[in-house]
Amino acid sequence: MSRLSQKQYEWRVLAAMSLYMLCMLLEWPLVRTATRLSIKCLLALVPVVPMVYVIALLARRIRASDELEQQTHLIALGIATAVVGALSLIGGFLSIANVVMLDGSILIWVFPGLMFCYGAARWWVARRYGGNMFCEGDSALGKYLRFILAGGVLLLVGWLSRSSLDALRLGFLCGAGAGLVALGLVLAVARRRHQDAGE
Amino acid sequence: MPANKSDADAPSFMNNLIRELRSERGWSQAELAQQLDVSRQTINAIETGKYDPSLPLAFKIARLFGMPIEMIFVPEEE
Repeated sequence: MSRLSQKQYEWRVLAAMSLYMLCMLLEWPLVRTATRLSIKCLLALVPVVPMVYVIALLARRIRASDELEQQTHLIALGIATAVVGALSLIGGFLSIANVVMLDGSILIWVFPGLMFCYGAARWWVARRYGGNMFCEGDSALGKYLRFILAGGVLLLVGWLSRSSLDALRLGFLCGAGAGLVALGLVLAVARRRHQDAGE
Repeated sequence: MPANKSDADAPSFMNNLIRELRSERGWSQAELAQQLDVSRQTINAIETGKYDPSLPLAFKIARLFGMPIEMIFVPEEE
């Protein structure tokens, strides 16, 4: 299987995530107005399609990786699975005991949580093998720019949808967007200091 | 020989002469990685002693440099 370059991989993931966000903004509201069960199911599962594509991209990337990259991916996935699994157990038992009130919509956060933990774990594992987060390779965008861009997109989406979102969702979008922008700025400063130290 | 490792690094059990052999031939890490069909990070990890390559990769490296494998990879003295 041919190996996608970092740039090809990132652009495809970006396209899939953009499609996902468009689905959530434009298509998802139709779910509530649909009356027929079959149509309701179909509309509810449309956002899953770009996510399945992202999973397929990740699987392809891991299969085409060299031995050290595969080791890094699999250790990171193992750590992420353990963390998300433990949190699911904790949340599940607390919910059954009526300590916290959780409905089924919490399940939608399992995959993003897994991807976030996988990303963090992969960064940590790669560092142990001498990986340098400031070495961009053939990435289309610097890491800090990607965080700032992603945060900016979330803030823009929140701004554009402010009249149709409830306070919780709007707050989440704004908080997540601001957090990503802040993280991007921290990474930009760290990168600049790293470059200055290397001179 | 690889740089000193800290406890936070992944354990490895071999020293190697890959950096020296690569420099003699004027290859960059990226060029060596391309010839071995691995990532540049993998070459860097092997050279700095943070990762021991698998047997097939070690043999590939030895064939590329035209040297016996035991002349390139030396067990780390305890």
